[in-house]
Amino acid sequence: MKVVIVGCGRVGSHVALRLDGDGHEVTVIDNDPKQLRRFLPSSFNGQTFTGSATDHRVLVEAGVERTNAFLALTPGDNRNVLASQIAKHVYNVETVVTRLADPFRAELFQRLGLRTFSPTNIGADLAYDALLGT
Amino acid sequence: MYIVIVGAGMVGYGLALELLKFPDHEVVLIEDDPVRAEELREELGEMVVLGDGTEVVFLEEAGAARADLLVAVTRDDGRNLVACQIGKHWFHVDRTIARVSDPRNEPLFKTLGIDATVSVAAAALAQIETSLPEHIVVPLMRLQGSGLEVVDLHVQEGSPAEGTAIKDLALPYQTVISLVVGIDGTPRIPTADTIFRAGDEAVAVIDQQAEGQLREIFAGPHMTDAESDGDAEQATADSAGGA
Repeated sequence: MKVVIVGCGRVGSHVALRLDGDGHEVTVIDNDPKQLRRFLPSSFNGQTFTGSATDHRVLVEAGVERTNAFLALTPGDNRNVLASQIAKHVYNVETVVTRLADPFRAELFQRLGLRTFSPTNIGADLAYDALLGT
Repeated sequence: MYIVIVGAGMVGYGLALELLKFPDHEVVLIEDDPVRAEELREELGEMVVLGDGTEVVFLEEAGAARADLLVAVTRDDGRNLVACQIGKHWFHVDRTIARVSDPRNEPLFKTLGIDATVSVAAAALAQIETSLPEHIVVPLMRLQGSGLEVVDLHVQEGSPAEGTAIKDLALPYQTVISLVVGIDGTPRIPTADTIFRAGDEAVAVIDQQAEGQLREIFAGPHMTDAESDGDAEQATADSAGGA
């Protein structure tokens, strides 16, 4: 399938490389070209674009109109929410996954139709389990 | 009314000042920049609070649960959208208004249930347009739902409108000329017998489709060609005129 990922930090690049390894068609967008160079090795087969995650022009250039899935993984919650809702409601992307540091926002936007996850909750659970050894 | 404003830039600050004139309104102005918040606190007092207006926990402290209206006017479309969606879906605020910087986001905001959007760029453009002499019909405000809009009309020299009484003009259906401001700046409420002079300005309610027809009535003889160039509304008026 075709996947567009916005945000090329550790999380974004990691998912991009994994999906690429599985043979999917991956496109990564980040507003900082240094991030794209830093986290994606030359072995990465997908495409990269420099630009804002919420700029319609950039999203269209990256193929948002033809993609099966869209992952918003930038460090900005509000940016991820806007980008995700543009993908879902303007370009009708089937599957939209949104990273939200704030668990409240993650809960709300899950209810409003995005597939959200919160690294805060996940990290806290792991830390708790590591401490109490379950 | 209890009103929460997110973003204390020039728009949020100006709005707060405006609302303060009404003693029935209780206003809280949320700003996330500590320097700006402190500066405004000195001027406006306790109503200014420092915090992130897109944060559920913080909005709760700011009393969003009892707000009648939430207005998000930061420079960032994402922040404005999230503040309004949290207001609407978490705190069940009756009415939410968002500022939109990128016009391409306007339909999205509507789809997502934001009650009204305001575009600072569009407002500035409209204002500039009113002062350009070649603009004959300047849209000021769309009346939502009715298909009507409020426009500013400029009566040009040599136009069909010049020297003609309102009752003798073939104005498009639903046109209401509400106010005429003479070249000397005197406003008057027009009657059917009011005669337009070159340089008069009129505020009117019109059908959104009728801009082209009005342009023909208020434009001078040399202006119609330039105005009809690739103009969709002109095309509508032409077909309406031919029918």
